[in-house]
Amino acid sequence: MPIIVNLDVMLAKRKIQLKELSERVGISTVNLSILKQSKGKAIRFSTLEAICSALDCQPGDLLEYSESEKSFK
Amino acid sequence: MKYTKHILVAFSILLFSFLFSYLVRSYNNGINSFGLILAICLFSFFIFNLIVRKIAWFKPYFTSKYNFFSTKYRTKIEFDIPKDLMFKKVIEVIENSKFKIQLVNEDMFEVFAISPMSFKSWGENIYIDFQEDDGKTIMNFCSATISQIYSWGKNEQNYDQLVQNIEESLII
Repeated sequence: MPIIVNLDVMLAKRKIQLKELSERVGISTVNLSILKQSKGKAIRFSTLEAICSALDCQPGDLLEYSESEKSFK
Repeated sequence: MKYTKHILVAFSILLFSFLFSYLVRSYNNGINSFGLILAICLFSFFIFNLIVRKIAWFKPYFTSKYNFFSTKYRTKIEFDIPKDLMFKKVIEVIENSKFKIQLVNEDMFEVFAISPMSFKSWGENIYIDFQEDDGKTIMNFCSATISQIYSWGKNEQNYDQLVQNIEESLII
């Protein structure tokens, strides 16, 4: 998928573990893991808002469009 | 077409019941002892199935193609998600559905769940196992009825509902 979720990068920058983020935003670790691996079908604005708030970042820090991923597919 | 098949099966069952009852009565001069024994046997068999349905050890019995008294619905579905994650996801979805998880085997990646008995259904057992293929997960789904020789489409409906729930849960 040409949309890449950089959740792992942001987690590393903020030095937060997935489990901790899960507790902060109220989303299960399974769902966050799926999101982290860019395997989710879609992301809700409410989820994006909660993650951005917890990680103190912008949606653009989490999501990235990659042309190479698109051509690769 | 699907409903035509259901109507034909219902008609065949009624016809068979009528003919069987008529023949048994005529052979026994009105005393339907054979029919009574058969009814007791069928009832005992049904009770036995009800008792053992929650025991995971009876999976081969319910899913066997030679068990003609249990209708099976088998299908496969592929998800572009690693097996361990998909396994946890499906457990999460089942926990939030009408099905009740009876057994989760994390080593074998197997899930066994049952649907409760109601006025509309005798209940249903679902067995799911997971295989990994090139980073993708193949879910082998088998739904077995407790004592039913023909499926009226409830198993397929439940399967479609479960898949829909899984798909919806991937919107995070």
